[in-house]
Amino acid sequence: MDTICKQSKKHFLAIFSLLFLSFFLSINPVFAQDGEKIFKENCAVCHSMGKETVTGPGLEGVMKRVPSEEWLLKWIKNNDALIKSGDAYAVKINAFAESQMTTFTNLSDDEIKSVIAYIKAYVPPVKKVDNNAGGAAGAPSEEEGNPLTLLIGIIAFLIIIVAVLRGVRHSLKNLQNEKLGIPEIEKIGAWTEFKEWTRSNKTTTGVFVLFIVGGLVSAGWYALKDIGIYANPETKLEYNPEQPIAFSHKIHAGDNAINCQYCHSGVERSKTAGIPTVNVCMNCHRGISKGQSEAGTAEIAKIYDAAGWDPQAAKYNKPQKAIQWVKVHNLQDFVFFSHQQHVKVGKQECATCHGDLTTMTTAKQVQPLSMAWCIDCHRTTEVPGMKDNPYYESLHKKLAEKFKNLPKDQRKFTVDKMGGIECGKCHY
Amino acid sequence: MATKKYWKGLEELNKSPEFVQNANNEFAEQIPVEKFLGDNNLADNSGTNRRDFLKFLGFSVTAASLAACETPVNKAIPYVVKPEEITPGVANWYASTFHDGYDYAAVIVKTREGRPIKVEGNELSKVTMGGTSARVQASILSLYDSSRLTGPVTKSGETWNPSTWSNIDKEIGGKLAKATGGIRILTSTIISPSTKAVIADFAAKYPNTKHVTYDAVSYSGMAKANAQTFGQEVIPSYHFNHAEVIVGIGADFLANWLSPIEYANQYSKTRKVGKNKNKMSKHIQFESNLSLTGANADERVPVKVSEQGKVAVNLYNAVAKIVGGSTLPSSALACDAAIAKAAKELADNKGKSLVVSGSNDMNVQLVVNGINQLLDNYGKTIDIENPSYIRQGDDAAFAELVAEMASGKVGAIITYNTNPVYTAPASLKFAEAYNKVGVRISFADRADETASMAQYICPDHHYLESWNDYNPKKAHYSLAQPTITPLFAAQNSGTRQAQETLMVWSGNTSDYHSYIQKIWMERVYPMQGKYMNFTEFWNNSLHDGAIEVGKGGEVAAMPMTDSTKVVAPVVAEMKSDITPELIAVIKEIGKVDLSAAATAINAVKGGAIELALYEKVAIGNGNQGNNPWLHELPDPISKITWDNYITMSPEDMKEAGYKLMERQDRESSVLTLTSNGITVKLPVVPQPGQARGTVGIAVGYGRDKAGKLAERTGTVVGQNAYPFVQIMNGTMAYDSLSVTLANTNEITELAGTQIHHTMMGREIVKETILSEYQKNPKSGNHDEMLVTHAGIVKAADIDLWNEHERLGHKWGMTIDLNSCIGCGSCVVSCTAENNVAVVGKDQVMKTREMHWLRIDRYYSSDMTKDVAKETGEGAIQMYLDMENPSTQNPKVVFQPIMCQHCNHAPCETVCPVIATNHSSDGLNAMAYNRCVGTRYCANNCPFKVRRFNWFNYNENPDYTFNPTQDDLGRMVLNPDVVVRSRGVMEKCSMCIQRIQGGKLEAKKEERKLVDSDIKTACQQSCPTNAIWFGDLNDETSAITVLRKEDERNYFILEELGIKPTVSYLTKVRNADESVSVGKMPEGHEVKHEEAKSEKKEHA
Repeated sequence: MDTICKQSKKHFLAIFSLLFLSFFLSINPVFAQDGEKIFKENCAVCHSMGKETVTGPGLEGVMKRVPSEEWLLKWIKNNDALIKSGDAYAVKINAFAESQMTTFTNLSDDEIKSVIAYIKAYVPPVKKVDNNAGGAAGAPSEEEGNPLTLLIGIIAFLIIIVAVLRGVRHSLKNLQNEKLGIPEIEKIGAWTEFKEWTRSNKTTTGVFVLFIVGGLVSAGWYALKDIGIYANPETKLEYNPEQPIAFSHKIHAGDNAINCQYCHSGVERSKTAGIPTVNVCMNCHRGISKGQSEAGTAEIAKIYDAAGWDPQAAKYNKPQKAIQWVKVHNLQDFVFFSHQQHVKVGKQECATCHGDLTTMTTAKQVQPLSMAWCIDCHRTTEVPGMKDNPYYESLHKKLAEKFKNLPKDQRKFTVDKMGGIECGKCHY
Repeated sequence: MATKKYWKGLEELNKSPEFVQNANNEFAEQIPVEKFLGDNNLADNSGTNRRDFLKFLGFSVTAASLAACETPVNKAIPYVVKPEEITPGVANWYASTFHDGYDYAAVIVKTREGRPIKVEGNELSKVTMGGTSARVQASILSLYDSSRLTGPVTKSGETWNPSTWSNIDKEIGGKLAKATGGIRILTSTIISPSTKAVIADFAAKYPNTKHVTYDAVSYSGMAKANAQTFGQEVIPSYHFNHAEVIVGIGADFLANWLSPIEYANQYSKTRKVGKNKNKMSKHIQFESNLSLTGANADERVPVKVSEQGKVAVNLYNAVAKIVGGSTLPSSALACDAAIAKAAKELADNKGKSLVVSGSNDMNVQLVVNGINQLLDNYGKTIDIENPSYIRQGDDAAFAELVAEMASGKVGAIITYNTNPVYTAPASLKFAEAYNKVGVRISFADRADETASMAQYICPDHHYLESWNDYNPKKAHYSLAQPTITPLFAAQNSGTRQAQETLMVWSGNTSDYHSYIQKIWMERVYPMQGKYMNFTEFWNNSLHDGAIEVGKGGEVAAMPMTDSTKVVAPVVAEMKSDITPELIAVIKEIGKVDLSAAATAINAVKGGAIELALYEKVAIGNGNQGNNPWLHELPDPISKITWDNYITMSPEDMKEAGYKLMERQDRESSVLTLTSNGITVKLPVVPQPGQARGTVGIAVGYGRDKAGKLAERTGTVVGQNAYPFVQIMNGTMAYDSLSVTLANTNEITELAGTQIHHTMMGREIVKETILSEYQKNPKSGNHDEMLVTHAGIVKAADIDLWNEHERLGHKWGMTIDLNSCIGCGSCVVSCTAENNVAVVGKDQVMKTREMHWLRIDRYYSSDMTKDVAKETGEGAIQMYLDMENPSTQNPKVVFQPIMCQHCNHAPCETVCPVIATNHSSDGLNAMAYNRCVGTRYCANNCPFKVRRFNWFNYNENPDYTFNPTQDDLGRMVLNPDVVVRSRGVMEKCSMCIQRIQGGKLEAKKEERKLVDSDIKTACQQSCPTNAIWFGDLNDETSAITVLRKEDERNYFILEELGIKPTVSYLTKVRNADESVSVGKMPEGHEVKHEEAKSEKKEHA
């Protein structure tokens, strides 16, 4: 009884703790969501979630290594101060480190706690087998059956059959004629026969010709639509030029979850997002010289070549070379486009225009970047944060006044309502 | 022998009938057209028949067009290691200073991706107050001048060979050490303390060195007069802003005289009127040529060149009579009445007046000093204790140097920032003397007139590539810092800063940057009390660009070696009360004998025709003679581009029978002008207001070795007038009192941008006089009225269209015609900001200049509707006469005109492709890539501000002088503004790129837009702050307040119902009589035009 009681008490405790834990966990993800964002923006550049060392050590099992969570918080906030304070563990790990970790005094304790929570709750994703992991030259992983090749194959096959059947028919007819005593028909060419046939079946020929001409015209019309356009989602046209280095966005932005802005740092400050300069690559790749495959390693070697870095000597002792990337997203010279306007003020996601780069190797253009496409978006996108931005205060009030008489679904503060589709906004 | 005859053949000998028939035919054989077409065989057998031809044609056209459809591959090449401060796409601004020995301006430089693209005024400068001039604005282009030398060169025989600095240093070092006779360093004015220290170091190493300062346009006479009056050979600081009466005698202080940007700013402060200020200064100008300053004067009195000195003497006497003092010997002048009037005005404003003279004659300046002393102006409007260092040239020392050189006493000469072979008076024979110097070294950035005669050219960096420091005025310092890596930066064979070169030659291997820091540590740092350590002081000074030290009573610890003679080392503050030093100074007055000066002035005998040399607003002294932006900038007065010419009174011209260029005629007579044995051949231009019996020629032209521009335009621009400069009483005189003119009977055409000089009785510029304005602020600005079926109504009230909805911003611009002096700084600023093409003289003659902003200049006409009524003149004759400006002394007005961004724009309704349309914030936008070039819009524009791009000025080989045709020149382009090509209409966009940029900053920072966020290029460059720009929907913006408060506000051609966005403020003249340039009869003039457009309610 006693044991039962004890057991039930144990069960009760277990159930209670489970409940408590689940309750805690149920809050935790919300908490860790911020942590994930902060982690990706600040930590992911140097720390992987696995075992491997990037610039800093891998974070798998970090909670077991460090003395306490308190300690970790202090360390993240200002490791320099911790080392100087003479903390034994801090001094110890600092002795091993190649370079000192950045201090994050700008982060609040709560934010750091959310990061720690994210690290604790992190579950490694199930690794998918990925043929393309090396990112070598961005070659498609498998050759899919091309419908055009298939069609041509079928047509060729049919032609051969028709030719053979024609021969057979000719022989059979001659055989029969021989029997009937009619002199052998001279073998006429396929072309002559075809001409004869079209003359006797004018309607059928006419219909065929009409179809063919119509098909060609419409194909031509659609082909014309792509002139001067690098990408067109309708026709599945995607501009994906070969780059001097087969940089894989999938590995960086996808697998390692590095924030886009770490490399494209101008996106909130300038009209151009900016292509990362080689020294930005070297921030991490000083430490990471091996790719996930042979090919990947060879690509990383190209960065070293450009930076003038000698990995053996671990020194910049060679001449620097500029990397000549091929521009993927091209706008005409007479178009003014500003990234900061769209990303910082308009709060647009990179993926809206650039597609999901976490799945791409070298970047490709997926949106047409045509004027129609721009304007469509400006007609449908509401300006986010307009209400809270004092810049828009008076405009927002006046628009709201104007919208009063409109049905509810038309009361949209879209970009075009504030002049966002006027010529002078992009062309000057 | 002539009897011999050669036959062409037997046919000729036989004279066969066919031969006789064919002999007259040019072509011996018929072209076998018939045979070819008639031969069916040929057609059948030939490989190509008509159908094949068409097939091939069709195929090749299709193939070619399809091949052309391939999208180009663009490269994006990032930095390998990005400089920390550069973000691609974001401009960096650096404070720096422009000084070329002539103009001074504290500036801020806009750089994009490490290349400077625009210069603006530095508002922190207490000297130039954020203003710039056309020449300062254009200086950015001289950085990208492909005529610059890319490294040191030496001459062997007649050819220049590239050299290396190590060789040059060794060679010159040896030659300087061995130089027999003295070493002379000849420079223009140096206001850099460190440069002076470098020269002093050099002189210490080579003790036989002497530094001679020579200014092409000299103020030596003024300094000498001050030496006599005050015992200091200095030029004082002027405070036009404290003056209520300004009298100028031949001093063009708004455009060229001493420090024009500074004075224009000060002057404009006294000229602005508004709700809380209904007073303005009175400006009287006595001069021969019609200068920019004279054009802005309230009263202008044309006087002959020889009489300008006498005007000063008579003015002295007239003032002395009123305030009490002994008079000077004088001679009667025709303008004595005007002088007496001026004297009364001056005396009434004792201590609040200012008399300045442009003469370089010491005697005249002595008398002018005397007048200012009588008027008690020293210590108030003239500050002798805080002298200006902007001109230090010493004419006597220069003449002495030339004599030394000619006699072979000079062993080596180094020229820096000066071009005496081009600028020196002919009588000095500088070039001959120069050739007699054993070692000739030039620091010029190109093989100019002087440098090309040297043996070594050691090219200096451009100012935007250099470190330097400047001390334009006592207690005012500014720094120049490099804004780009030197363009020609090869280690041992690129350009090198002149100071560094001198330092190397004097054995100092440190760089000039640290040298400046050392000098500032020693001299400037102790003069201030704001910063406690030098690094902090230096960094802040470099950041601010311009600083003022000594404010707040700090004692200058070290005397400054850069001023010629320093008297008062105490306080550098403007004083309103008289200090003991000043009393001591004033006591010395008695010692100066003005009667001797007056006697000398009275002894000057005038000639029948007198020549007055002048500097043009654009070209100035000719330093930037290779700058196409400046050549294309129309002269504010004559509106002529790409030339200098003889200006002459139209009445004199009529008498002499020269072409009068009336009725929009471009043809002008070519004259030869001879004086002292020197002759130039130049076209003559009628200049209303030119004193009779005088002619004017601008210096700074005729530079045959300025650079590649002459070769690219096909001719040297203009003729050199510097040889006419004479040495009189030890100073340079920029006139000649006896010249002869002769008509060559040749005719040439001049490229003027405005060949219609009057307003034809309309009120494009509205005008009033101060006394009227004080009574009624709306005077001169009556509303435009229209006669309608509903009676006479205000034109502004009639509207054919509905008002636009303006929810967000509503941009507006207002230009104060009272502040605008017409200097053209805005025009060049606009050119630089908006990538405006240079079209050249031929195209300007076809009225195809591309400037988005022009400044219209109108003269008053003797014929007005009133006059016609009185004299009974018929309408046709009246309008014909109205076209002619008053020849004697017309009133002049300036009016900047750019696209008026009409809210009911006539251009928009006629565009067949909707390339020009209206934005919700009130701008008239122009989509170039949509424009097909019908030019309907230009036809329909009442302001003629739309400029059609006729040729591909960026590639067409006829326009190689356009900066964009040059790999270097292209670097000046603003990457935020598209470079237009042939076949599109262009016009002012109100700097929409700046509007968008300013808006974006406010959005990003999540705050309301404020006035300072957006400044248009013209507004920012204006030295007199005549232009306002802002949001009319913002109740608090300066422009909204201004338009509400100032009753001078008006719109041009408002009666057309076009509702312009740009407004103007009536010009107020501080004159007695109301002589309006666009004179209308008194009272409200009703336009008797049928009002065809009415509001719907009226119909």
